[in-house]
Amino acid sequence: MLSVSDNHHHHHQHLRRPEPEPSQDEPTPPRVLTILSHHLEKLVARNDRLVLGNRQSQQKSLKGFDGVRAPSISIPKYLERIYKYTNCSPSCFVVGYVYIDRLVHKYPDSLLVSLNVHRLLVTCVMVASKMLDDVHYNNAFFARVGGVTNAELNRLELELLFLLDFGVTVSSQVFETYCQHLEKEMLRNGTALDHMVRPAITNSSSTADATEISVEDHTQSSSSHE
Amino acid sequence: MALAAPNQLNISDPPTWGSRTVDCFEKLEQIGEGTYGQVYMAREIRTGEIVALKKIRMDNEREGFPITAIREIKILKKLHHDNVIKLKEIVTSPGPEKDEQGRPDGNKYKGGIYMVFEYMDHDLTGLADRPGMRFSVAQIKCYMRQLLTGLHYCHVNQVLHRDIKGSNLLIDNNGNLKLADFGLARSFSNDHNANLTNRVITLWYRPPELLLGATKYGPAVDMWSVGCIFAELLHGKPIFPGKDEPEQLNKIFELCGSPDEKNWPEVTKIPWYNNFKPSRPLKRRLKEVFRQFDRHALELLDKMLTLDPMQRISAKDALDAEYFWTDPLPCDPKSLPKYESSHEFQTKKKRQQQRQHEETAKRQKLQHQQQHTRLPPHQQSGQGHPQMRPGPNPQMHGSQNQVVAGPSHHYNKPRGPSGGPGRYPQGGNPSGGYNHQNRGQGGGSYGSGQYPPQGRGAPYGSSGIPGAGPRGGGGSGYGAGGPNFPHGGQYGPSGAGRGSNMVSGNRNQQYNWQQ
Repeated sequence: MLSVSDNHHHHHQHLRRPEPEPSQDEPTPPRVLTILSHHLEKLVARNDRLVLGNRQSQQKSLKGFDGVRAPSISIPKYLERIYKYTNCSPSCFVVGYVYIDRLVHKYPDSLLVSLNVHRLLVTCVMVASKMLDDVHYNNAFFARVGGVTNAELNRLELELLFLLDFGVTVSSQVFETYCQHLEKEMLRNGTALDHMVRPAITNSSSTADATEISVEDHTQSSSSHE
Repeated sequence: MALAAPNQLNISDPPTWGSRTVDCFEKLEQIGEGTYGQVYMAREIRTGEIVALKKIRMDNEREGFPITAIREIKILKKLHHDNVIKLKEIVTSPGPEKDEQGRPDGNKYKGGIYMVFEYMDHDLTGLADRPGMRFSVAQIKCYMRQLLTGLHYCHVNQVLHRDIKGSNLLIDNNGNLKLADFGLARSFSNDHNANLTNRVITLWYRPPELLLGATKYGPAVDMWSVGCIFAELLHGKPIFPGKDEPEQLNKIFELCGSPDEKNWPEVTKIPWYNNFKPSRPLKRRLKEVFRQFDRHALELLDKMLTLDPMQRISAKDALDAEYFWTDPLPCDPKSLPKYESSHEFQTKKKRQQQRQHEETAKRQKLQHQQQHTRLPPHQQSGQGHPQMRPGPNPQMHGSQNQVVAGPSHHYNKPRGPSGGPGRYPQGGNPSGGYNHQNRGQGGGSYGSGQYPPQGRGAPYGSSGIPGAGPRGGGGSGYGAGGPNFPHGGQYGPSGAGRGSNMVSGNRNQQYNWQQ
C-alpha cells in the first residue's frame, strides 16, 4: 500500500512551518509521486500520439486547461515541485488524480495531453489540498508554485469545480481503490520505474522553449510566499 | 428520508449546476447581508418558485473559491432529506458585476456564483426571540424531533455538522425545520482516526471534549449542541453563555459536574484537561437546577448533556426517548402557527441610516432588553407539573395557530457584519443559516483568533469579522431558585449578552423601537 495514510499527522507538522523552505538535502518525494508521474507520463505520451495521428483536436470540455504549447518542465519535476513547496499531503496527489480521472471519464471527448496536464495537475492538487488539509496554502501561492497567474488559477479552479459538478468528495473506499490501482501500475512497470526515478534531466535540459508555465527558480519562489 | 412517490419520479434531470445564470431568477429583495456578500429572496422566472439566492463572493483573489463554500456545496450535494436545507442549484452571473466599492473587477471569468436554496421563513432563535413568543410543549417536541431526525440522517451519512445552533435551524411556515449552514461540516468515517480541528461549534454550544482540546471526535459533538438547544427551548434562554473557553467550561462543570476518570474514562488524557480541570470537584446539578422541567424532558436532556461523549445519547436513541412518545405528543408541523414575516427592500443608503439609528437606539434600549427574554413553553393542561414560572404573559392555551404579527423576521435583522444580539460571544462560526462565507478564512484556519466575533447571524445573515474581542454575557450561573425567564435579572444588566454590546443591536429591539 502506498504510504499516504499518515497525512493528518503531516498537517500538524506543517502547521509549524509557516514558510516552505526546501531543506538542503532534497528529501526523496513520496513514492506515490513517482508512481503517479510515471503513470501520467505514459498516458500523456499515448494521448499525444493519438491526437497527432488522428489530427483530432481537443474538444472543448477541457479547453480551458490548454496552453499554447507544452511546458518544458516534466511531469515528475512539476509534481515534485508542487510537493516540495506547498507541503500538501501525499493524499492530495492521489485525490487530485481521482479528479483528473473523473474528468476524462465524464468528458470522453477530452484527453489528458501535454498541453493540459500541468494546469490540470496544479488545479486538481490544489483543490484536493483545500478539501483534505485543514491547513493549506492559498491559490496565490499555488499559482506561483505552478507557474500560472493567480487569476488564471482561480479561473481554472472554478472551471474544474463546475466540470466536476462540485463532486469533489472522495470516499475512503474510492481512495483505497485508486491507491491499489497505482500500486498495480507500478508493479507492472517495475523495470521502467527504476529508469523513471530521475527522469527529468533529459527533458529539462533540452533547449529551453519559451512556455507559458514558467516556474521560477526554486529559491526565488520559496521566498515569494505571502 | 423522503421517498418520491412512484408517479413523482424525477425523470427530467435538474439543470447541470453552473449551466444556468442568475438571470433565470428575478431578485425580489435583499434579505441579508454580511461580509460575504448578499442574500436575496428571488423568484425563479420559469416556475414562479420563491428561493433564496446566496452570493458567493469571489473578490479575495488570493484565496480563490472559498473553501467553506466548496465544503458546503459538496456536502449538501449528497444530503437529501426533509430536515436538511436543500441546495437546489448553483448559478453563475453572466458578466462582471459592478462592485459596490467600485473596485476593479477581480474575477474576469465569472461575475459571481450564487447558491440557490429553498426559501425558509424563519430560524429557531429568531422565532424564539420574538416578543411574546411562547412555544407549546408539543411544538418544542415537534422541532426537537425534526432536529434529531435531520441530524441522525447527517450522522448516518457520516457528516458532522459542527455548528448546530438555533440560528442554523431554519423553519418555514409549514412548521418544517431544516438544518442549514454546512460550511463547517465535514465528513468523518468511523475507521479513520483523523485529527480534526477542535475550533468548531459556536462557543455556547461547544461540547466539553472540544473545549478540552480533543481532536478525535464524532457525532457526539453535535448532540451536545442539541442538548444546549433543547435546554434553551425549555429554559427560555441559553444555558451556557460563556464569554471565553475557560468560562464556558466552568459553566458546564457547574451544571454537569466536573469530569473525572469515573464519569468520563480517559478524560485526563485529553490535551488541556490539566489546564482546565476545576480546582475542586463539582457535583452534577442538572436535575436539581432544571427540576421544574417535565420528567421525560429532563431525562432526555440529562443524556444529551452527558460529559463523556462516549456515553452521550445518539440522535437515533434520542428519537426513541420516552419524551417523544408521551403526551403531549409532538404536533404535526403543519398544525404549528404561521408566523408573519415581512421583508422590505432597503437600499444601501437606507441601511446606513438605519445603522446610525440603531447605534443610538441601542443605547436607549439597553435597559429594556431584558424584558424580551424568551418565555417558557406552555404547559399543556393535564401536565403533572405545575406552572412555576410567573411569566408576564401567562396564557396557558390558545397560542396554537395564532398568527403573531410583527416583523421580527430574521431577514430584517440589522445589517452589518456583526448584527445580532450577541448570543454567541465566540466560536468557530459567528454566522448562521445559509451564511458561512469568510469564516475561518484569512486567519489561516478555523476559529482564527482566540475570540472570534460574536453576534448571532441570522440564516441569511451576517458573518463576523474574526478577531473581535471577548465580550458578552457575564453570566453568573444558575439561580438556586431555578429559571427566571421573565426577568432575566440574574445575569445582570449586561448579562446574557443579549445585544448590549453589539454594534448593530438586536433585531427585535430594533423593531420594538420602531413600533
